[in-house]
Amino acid sequence: MPRVDRRFALPLLLAVLALVLGWGLSVGLSGYFVYLGMSAVVACVAILGLGVVTGSAGMISLCQLTFGAVGAWVVSALNLVDAPGGFLVWLLLGGLAAGVVGLVVGLPALRLRGVNLAVVTLGLAAAADVTLVQIQFPGATEGVAVQRPGPFTSDRAYFLLCVIVLVLCCLAVHLLHRSRWGSAWKSVAFSERATAAAGASVRTSKLTAFAVGAALGGISGGLVTGQVGLAFPASFTTIQSLALYVLAVMSGAHLIDMAVFGAVLWVAVPELLKRWGVPQDWGFVVFGLFGVQALASGTNLGLLLRRRTGNEIAPVAAEVPPAPEPVPIGGPVLTVRGLSVHFGHVTALSDVDLDLPEHGVLGVIGPNGAGKSTLIDVLSGFLPRAEGSVTLDGRSLAGLAPTRRARLSLRRTFQQDRVPPGLTVAAYVRFVARRRLRGEEIAEALAFFGCPPADTPLARVDVGARRLVEVVGHLLARPRVLLLDEPAAGLPHEEHLAFGRRLRQVPARFGVSVLLVEHDLDLVRAVCDTITVLDFGRVLASGPQAQVLADPAVLKAYMGETELA
Amino acid sequence: MLQGALAGLAAGGLYAVLAVCLTLMSRLVRVVNFAQAATGMVGSYLAVWLVVHTGLPEWAATLGGILLGAGLSAGLGWIVCTWLAETDTGTRSAVTAAVLLLLISLSFILFGNKPQPFRPVLAGPAFQVGGVVVSQVTVATVGLAVLVALACRLLLGRTAVGVRLRALSERPTTAELLGIPAKPLSIAVWAGTGLVATLAISVVAPSQSNDPTSLAMLVVPASAAALLGGFRRLDLAVGGGLVLGVVEGAVAQSDHLSLVRYFLPLLFIVALLLWSQRKEVWDAAR
Amino acid sequence: MRAGVAALAAVALLASGCATSGSGDPIVVGSVNALSGAATFPEASQAARAVFDAANAQGGVNGRKIEYKVVDDKGDPAAAAAAAREIVGGDNAVALVGSSSLIECEINAKYYEQQQVLSVQGIGVDPACFASPNIAPVNVGPFHDMTLTLLYGSEVLHLQDICALLEIAGNTLPAYQAAIDEWSRITGKKLRYVDATVPYGGSDYTSYIVKARAAGCKAITVNPVEPDSVGQLKAAQAQGWTDLTWLLLTSVYSENYAKAVSEAGAGVYVPAEFYPFTDSVSQQTKAWRDLMTSKHIPLTSFSQGGYLAATYFLDVLRGIKGEITRESVTAALRGMKPISDPMVGTPYAFGTGKAHHDNTAGWPVKLASGTNKWEPAASDWLRIPKN
Repeated sequence: MPRVDRRFALPLLLAVLALVLGWGLSVGLSGYFVYLGMSAVVACVAILGLGVVTGSAGMISLCQLTFGAVGAWVVSALNLVDAPGGFLVWLLLGGLAAGVVGLVVGLPALRLRGVNLAVVTLGLAAAADVTLVQIQFPGATEGVAVQRPGPFTSDRAYFLLCVIVLVLCCLAVHLLHRSRWGSAWKSVAFSERATAAAGASVRTSKLTAFAVGAALGGISGGLVTGQVGLAFPASFTTIQSLALYVLAVMSGAHLIDMAVFGAVLWVAVPELLKRWGVPQDWGFVVFGLFGVQALASGTNLGLLLRRRTGNEIAPVAAEVPPAPEPVPIGGPVLTVRGLSVHFGHVTALSDVDLDLPEHGVLGVIGPNGAGKSTLIDVLSGFLPRAEGSVTLDGRSLAGLAPTRRARLSLRRTFQQDRVPPGLTVAAYVRFVARRRLRGEEIAEALAFFGCPPADTPLARVDVGARRLVEVVGHLLARPRVLLLDEPAAGLPHEEHLAFGRRLRQVPARFGVSVLLVEHDLDLVRAVCDTITVLDFGRVLASGPQAQVLADPAVLKAYMGETELA
Repeated sequence: MLQGALAGLAAGGLYAVLAVCLTLMSRLVRVVNFAQAATGMVGSYLAVWLVVHTGLPEWAATLGGILLGAGLSAGLGWIVCTWLAETDTGTRSAVTAAVLLLLISLSFILFGNKPQPFRPVLAGPAFQVGGVVVSQVTVATVGLAVLVALACRLLLGRTAVGVRLRALSERPTTAELLGIPAKPLSIAVWAGTGLVATLAISVVAPSQSNDPTSLAMLVVPASAAALLGGFRRLDLAVGGGLVLGVVEGAVAQSDHLSLVRYFLPLLFIVALLLWSQRKEVWDAAR
Repeated sequence: MRAGVAALAAVALLASGCATSGSGDPIVVGSVNALSGAATFPEASQAARAVFDAANAQGGVNGRKIEYKVVDDKGDPAAAAAAAREIVGGDNAVALVGSSSLIECEINAKYYEQQQVLSVQGIGVDPACFASPNIAPVNVGPFHDMTLTLLYGSEVLHLQDICALLEIAGNTLPAYQAAIDEWSRITGKKLRYVDATVPYGGSDYTSYIVKARAAGCKAITVNPVEPDSVGQLKAAQAQGWTDLTWLLLTSVYSENYAKAVSEAGAGVYVPAEFYPFTDSVSQQTKAWRDLMTSKHIPLTSFSQGGYLAATYFLDVLRGIKGEITRESVTAALRGMKPISDPMVGTPYAFGTGKAHHDNTAGWPVKLASGTNKWEPAASDWLRIPKN
């Protein structure tokens, strides 16, 4: 219990402190600085949204202020007709509307990745810019000012209101970051494949990030309307959206305190330029330079300020726990018949048959280029063009996307590092497991594989240990079948056998059947009951371990290669 | 309507040239260059600056401006090749978005926001077809677009340099192992597209309103056109640019559709994305 | 939390730079201007500063110097509002003089009313500049200017088939429509056609020009900013439309524009809001020209506006008996007698009206093809007839 308390107490304490600080600034600062402060707070809400989209989910969004314009539009329109609920309700509706617009824009754009979203958002920003200039916000022509709500009409009080809204937004973002959504955002930013393999929908993950970011933009736009009194297109121009994006990138705005810092820069840089008598146009030049620098060096202010010294954490070589009561090996769980894959004229897999028995460990070996990883890709759904049939517990997996297969209890790991460094070990494991986990359960599983403790940031974990954490996460999902693609590749060779002994216990401990693709024959010997050998995409031999390894054809194909290597 | 459509052809030609540049950049050096038009803008402004402040003759200044535009682009390419050699298209493109912001603001400082006293290279109508005027600029930009696309096609398909460039874009590791100089070739691509973009904008800028923002933002319709060719095919990029210009010109003839006009590039992009991405694809090869 | 500390430090740094002026000597006068971004008007405040500097050099007003605060609004609404609060709330300015911005009036008019401070606007652009009790621009303004340019076209040049291409930025359409209606009321004539969809800051205007030509226009009135107008002229040139007359506004009346335009069809006509500054030998502009030249300030309509605003204001200030405060300045401006200046056709008085849109005289100038030079096109002021 105390852990849970601390998790929620600290953010709440900070929120209260921020409110007290906001109140102090609202009474202590001069009128002009209160007004500047309002601009900073409003910008901060927008940057917070960009932090979610670009910082956490790794997408390029160049139209944050267009979403602001949507929020401003809704607030002005509701103000014009004097809709019930008052400013705060309008503000919320503005945020929601912006979120919906974000969904509508994101939906087509997210079908393709990365840079296409940038093209679409820049196009949207440019189009909205000229359109707004021409059609204007509701009430602008008549000069109907947006009424600030009841007790918050003066500049000082409205500043305090903005701070309250900001603090609520920060809390919301903080909670979202801790939720499944937050983990999915960081995961999808690092690898879409790994996200899908964890049973999370790539599209949903991106869309939620985009919609949350847009909604925050909308709230920011609504706040501007209350600040200035009228909504103007000049508040929401393309170039300012660009500048805001660059600012979010260079400050590292996925961290809440850095978003605040970015917002301070947003007003402080122009203010300092003014005091030094430097033309204001230099402000965006400065932002542009720092943005290029931040992107080129792959770092940002948040990273620089938080740089931790210390070595990467490697897996702990611990005693292998005593084996539990072994479970009997049952009938086939995963059945593969006549599987073939062609890349153009190259045949990667040809007429492959496989049976993975329940609670068994099936090794798939073969020389480089034999089609082992292709086999895993096909089974996990990443190569939908394959011919042949794959059934899990008698159910055909034909036509199912990777996410669906993962949810149907067919899990896989990757040969490359696909563990998002932005999460802690525990957050990652919870995300991958897709079920409610007790702390002890996680700790126990991590300890079993000699992984670092649950609260370690993955960025500090070395590649070998990260891949073990990946295995733990998928095992805790309690899948029927787990496909492991060279899981020991990142470990020092002397630990391969210890890992093998642990793997041997996996079916009994986690109730799972394992298909292991592995290069290291010693490991395979130690773990696998049955072995299938692939060579040039064909099954060369298949059967009990001893029998297969004694097959002269296998020796020729496989040993010849290892000698060369 | 026909007159309006033909009127849009000049803009379409410019979109097409820029779309070809964007396509080349995306194919050969893995970047969607948001600063493509902005580099051209700065180059053509520098040409005017040279005329006004150094008294260079018009042709020499224009040539100088085009070379400076190419140089600016090459410098940007050098930054990207040096520090972002290993990163993905997204990060590289994000750098160019920051550069776009920088160049627009910098041009306000360097050149002000008043119209530049361009001496038009080309002016007036070229010929008439059935009472419909086709301007010289239209002929020039459309011609330039087709010419550049054909030249690039020949360069990539028929020359040793082209083969190396293709190898570099399709099999970067293998190409490097074969000893193909990756960095100089990449920077050359940046310089080349910078040159072509500046040339196109130098032709067009004197014949239309030429404030920094509107010139730099030409990258939006251009990228819409480039998307038609999936940022890979030059012929479709040229076609997309011309079609977009013509449709914009035609739509501007109707008062009711005036707002639609602004959203045309965006609608174009979205429709193309929906069509080209019917199937699920993944971020990494494996 | 280190970032939080840094943020606080930055705020403290900024706040410490904000010196409070005591009940000391200088009279604080402010102005809000568009000085950076895509559209800038720096000359009005530069000219006003020159006037105040000259007055200070001669001992100031009643022994008190004038401290002139110029703040940039960046064309950004929030910055414009902050600028007004800095000048009026922070520095306690007695009035605003020589401001020139695209959005400032609309955003700050209410605030000025609340604070009971008046603004002698150098160049008013948006409709709110001409519709507030607390703002009185010294210039004619684009709306009366449009009536004037249409009057010149139809009554002096006797043009038929005039069309309007309106670039509507913000809430200006009703104001321009009213200006056109005013012209119709006076002349009994109608425009051949109005296209209010022309984009502000567009890149290629060919399609709009083609549309106007197809509609049979012989003359076109536009309310452009300089780059847009250059683009429109060039689009007409590319179409080979050389017999078209342009009836434009003072917004394009500059040396720079003249240099950028080589082919102007049948001529560009503008009713200059102040006596044409391009007429370099005129006595009307001599005092202004000498001051601007000595301070290296560009000779433009904007610097004329800023100069006049400061000159009028000094005149009123010198007439105040007793202490110079915001209250006394406001009262003096409200009660001032009209001041004449050879650079304008209408004497200036702030007055007590609910709106200030009283300057109704322009001096027509012409830019012909191939000259790159503005020439006066009349020998007297062109005025909008009173009813």
